[in-house]
Amino acid sequence: MIRIVAIGLLLTFSTAVVGQEIELDRGAPLAQVYLEAVMSQSLLPMNDLGVEFGYVLYKAKITAESESATLELDNVRDYAVVYIDGKLQGTLADNRKKIQLDNLSGTHELQLYVENIGRITYGPEILDNSKGIFGEVLLDGEDVENWTMIPLNIRNYTLTDLIFTNRAKGQTPGFYKGIFNVDAVENRYLDISGWGMGEVWINNTYVGSYWEQEKQQSILIQSDVLILGKNEIVVFELKNSQQETMSLSESPVFR
Amino acid sequence: MQKHLMSILLMLLSLQISSLQAQTTELDLSGTWGFQTDLMDFRRGSLSPRYNHALPENIELPGITDDYQIGYKSPYRHIDRLTRKYEYMGPAWYQRDIEIPATWKGKQIFVYFERTHWLSSVYVDTKEVSKIDYVSVPHNHDLTKFVRPGKIHRITVCIDNRFQYNTHKWNHAHTEFTQINWNGILGEMKLMAIDPVYIDDMQVYPNIADNTIRVRLQLNNTLKKEVNGDATFMIAGTDYRLEHKVSVASNDSVTFVEATIALGDKIKRWDEFNPNVYEITCTLNTSNDKASYQHTKSATFGMREVKQGKNHVLVNNRPVHLRGNVENAVFPATGYAPLDDASWERIMVLMKDYGLNHLRFHSWCPPKAAFRMADKYGIYFEVEMPMWGKDAEPDEARYDFFRREIKGILKEYGNHPSFILYCNGNEITGNFDFIEELTAEGREFDSRHLYSGSTARTRVKSDQYYVSQQTNKGPVKVYEGLPNTDWDRNTESDVDVPVISHESGQRCVYPNFEEIKKYANSPVEARNFEVFREMLDDNGMLDQAHDFFRASGALTVLEYKAVIEALLRSSKSAGFQLLSINDFPGQGYAPVGILDPFWDSKGLITPEKFREFCAPTVALLRYEKSAYFKNETFTAEAEVYNFSSSAIKNAKLKWRLTDDQGKVLKKGNLKTQTIANEDVSSIGRFSIPLTHITLDQTQKLTVHLSVNDTINNSWNIWVYPEHRSLMQSTDQVLYTTVYDEAAKQQLAQGKTVVLYPLPNTVKGRKSVFHNHFWNPIMFAWPPMTIGCLIHHEKPVFHDFTTSYHTDWQWWDILNDAKVIEMSEAPPALRPFIQVIDSYDNNKKLGIGFEAKVNGGKLLVLAVDTKKDLDKRPATQQLLYSIDKYVKGDEFHPQIIVEESFIKSFLTE
Repeated sequence: MIRIVAIGLLLTFSTAVVGQEIELDRGAPLAQVYLEAVMSQSLLPMNDLGVEFGYVLYKAKITAESESATLELDNVRDYAVVYIDGKLQGTLADNRKKIQLDNLSGTHELQLYVENIGRITYGPEILDNSKGIFGEVLLDGEDVENWTMIPLNIRNYTLTDLIFTNRAKGQTPGFYKGIFNVDAVENRYLDISGWGMGEVWINNTYVGSYWEQEKQQSILIQSDVLILGKNEIVVFELKNSQQETMSLSESPVFR
Repeated sequence: MQKHLMSILLMLLSLQISSLQAQTTELDLSGTWGFQTDLMDFRRGSLSPRYNHALPENIELPGITDDYQIGYKSPYRHIDRLTRKYEYMGPAWYQRDIEIPATWKGKQIFVYFERTHWLSSVYVDTKEVSKIDYVSVPHNHDLTKFVRPGKIHRITVCIDNRFQYNTHKWNHAHTEFTQINWNGILGEMKLMAIDPVYIDDMQVYPNIADNTIRVRLQLNNTLKKEVNGDATFMIAGTDYRLEHKVSVASNDSVTFVEATIALGDKIKRWDEFNPNVYEITCTLNTSNDKASYQHTKSATFGMREVKQGKNHVLVNNRPVHLRGNVENAVFPATGYAPLDDASWERIMVLMKDYGLNHLRFHSWCPPKAAFRMADKYGIYFEVEMPMWGKDAEPDEARYDFFRREIKGILKEYGNHPSFILYCNGNEITGNFDFIEELTAEGREFDSRHLYSGSTARTRVKSDQYYVSQQTNKGPVKVYEGLPNTDWDRNTESDVDVPVISHESGQRCVYPNFEEIKKYANSPVEARNFEVFREMLDDNGMLDQAHDFFRASGALTVLEYKAVIEALLRSSKSAGFQLLSINDFPGQGYAPVGILDPFWDSKGLITPEKFREFCAPTVALLRYEKSAYFKNETFTAEAEVYNFSSSAIKNAKLKWRLTDDQGKVLKKGNLKTQTIANEDVSSIGRFSIPLTHITLDQTQKLTVHLSVNDTINNSWNIWVYPEHRSLMQSTDQVLYTTVYDEAAKQQLAQGKTVVLYPLPNTVKGRKSVFHNHFWNPIMFAWPPMTIGCLIHHEKPVFHDFTTSYHTDWQWWDILNDAKVIEMSEAPPALRPFIQVIDSYDNNKKLGIGFEAKVNGGKLLVLAVDTKKDLDKRPATQQLLYSIDKYVKGDEFHPQIIVEESFIKSFLTE
């Protein structure tokens, strides 16, 4: 009888729980997962870098005379996050390939972190299935040249080899880590609201990806991934929204 | 306006058939109609319909303009699709003078067309009176106010098959890629007279928990006066009959009547194994002080409920696993999807023959006959609207069309038990708030189906299942097999809703040019095949067309076996939709089927053999690789996929290893056990040390696994001796990776050279084991090859067991090889490993060939012989066989090639 009451109480309690917050207070710089860089005067699509899908950092020096300038790309397949000297400027995709850059005068490093989500299967671009960025990149109509292209080993890197330190202030893409406690091993949904685009591992098991523009804002975490007590979460965030927490919810989250 | 009125339930269990004289009468409108084209779109909206003159030509209906060679005689030979012989897109006018029977006075009068494309407008005499633009459901025009019984009216119908909204032109509801965008009227066409108080709609909602149905009637009353009466339901099926009567009263134009009918314990449930279908007929008798009225309506239903399970779709609370085919309205014989039962019955029987239980209608919804036959045979349907790609981008007119269309589909086909899944459309982009709106409203409107927003794109909150190539946990599609089988799609499939693997398969077969003649009486022709065939002829290989077809076809079969088994090993997947068991004649032309576009077998595999790996119960093996050294041990984890009607009690589980001749080399049993239903069960593990196997002449062995001797499946493995000192030059035979002076001298002396260049020194494409994905015209990316034709009877293969096609032993031989362009070689030269080119290119390609060069004997092999050779038993064995051949007395190349050809495919 007492036992039944206890379970009843537990149920009441657990349904009342609001998402458990997870703090991601450790960070690992992305340079740890750089693969061999390729240098070229003009842009090379990912196909020429041997990247079937995944991420490449494209970077180049730019010099601007005016305070602001428009950066325009010929092709963005499929998603690019624009940084200047490590500061987030915005995102690009194939249906919006222009961005205004401010506080620009002088010489800077332009960094484009690009994700290729795999081959397209239909549409007018079907016969031109290059991925990544290619063609011209223009800054106020001037060619940006001399690119360094660095494939990023995100999905196949041995996570336990990543070296984390206390999370530094900064906006560049990177890995973040947090520890959280689990007192009952049950299926949970990881609420990623507020984060940009990235991938998640829990206890070294890949659990899924997210993107702020999807309606679906959570990833199912199977109970068999979780362990009683301390659990570790690692997040790769491409568009650094400077979020510091995620949370665990009991039901899927849609926006 | 809408009102629920009293419904007093009376229940009568009766075995008598009441003889009811229905007051509905119909005039069949099939036959000869007047006809006129209107390519300039001038008649409508101009004064001309008011002239009321007779159209000058005739056409037989039901039919389409193509049947009468109306339209633009196409001079083209489309490469990316079948070519329509006579194209027509525009308004076309159909006309008939009809005497409305005098006895129809006081009735509601409708003209009904079962299916048309896509706007139909009806003119009575000189006036346009009704317009309907559904694509997926019948057009039922109300003519009551515009015709006078006893009078002859000129009924003129304009069918306009232009796109009425800016929707994606690939939608299979009306694409030129599969069924053509025809103009005409198909199926039932009739004029109907119905009493003014009638049943507009009858929906039946089964409740399997208490064996009841809730029937919801929409009664229309055009009298503007109150009537009273009753509705009698007759429910009939095999060994079942039940009558139930309720009182009705109606004094409004629309009245809803609901009745819950207890069906008793003799009623049987519907599912794929027990497709018990019942017919419900409602006879409405009403009257007032002036007159009495009668109307009868029937519907088919089955006792089944569908629910969202954890990983599976639940039918009557039991998980089902969907083994499906993507149906894309491929009907080149007619140019339109059939409307008759026999044609659809053939397709449902084919589904069962090939072990499938599911059809996804990709961006279209089939006609009623398809549902009827699926109900009868137990096939689960997923149906969609004509929606694809950017169709969800903002456009209110288009949105409103979809808002009407979804309701039309749910109302017209909602009663059918086979209709378990609804999805808005294919790979949709745009405004997903709109997709969520449709999905949520569908769920609210009709709970008898599960709903999904879009295949393979953004998830929405109201999704109850998800058809996709990937989830946020990774890929769930399977396009190709591997030489190992210890993998599945479980982790990636395990999300918050059941996940169905989207468009799996898609492995291209070389076209079978024999099919060209099948189009003689079709509205379309395979003129692309003619182009491909001419190209093959120009390139001197027409005699190989059939060999290319059967070699690439055999590869597709073994890929589909591997693809389907991987998806069956995935117990957390809700199922798969293969693209497709039949060819897809558009989008570049994708002959990916084991059936041709007419759903006829290509002769590549029998249904019995197909069911060994695609059926409700399938024996499965997980193993590490397909090619072994003789000192290794074959180890496998055995599993049984069982989504049949029951668990298998005390199953006897046997394995055996046979040689090429079927001789049993080893055998054993696994523990007799009960195999659960609705799951994939691990049943044990067995190992076969290969050391003691006598290889004789064959290296190919087959591992068999059987359940109770009735469920059988088998897998080929290859066992080879180890070879340590391969590619050793002798005085007579020079092995070289470069075509240098030494090689030239060797040849000049009449001796033998084996040239095995490093892959990066050979020009040309990278070799890939798999045949091209979908087709090389739409997806012009690597490999642009469709498998290999192996000239297996040549003596070079004397010590290497192979068929005319590649099997998994070829995996590590082919994957790092290079494909040599051989167009410049003499036509008579046929490489012994011949790569099949993309059919819109048809160049001669090879990986291995022999020739006479400068008086010497040359064998070229563009296979990687360096990388991990100690782990590649088949490559070793091929090299051994080649070595024995070039050093033996059978090596006499016949064809002379110039040195310039050898240089042509080498870099530098």
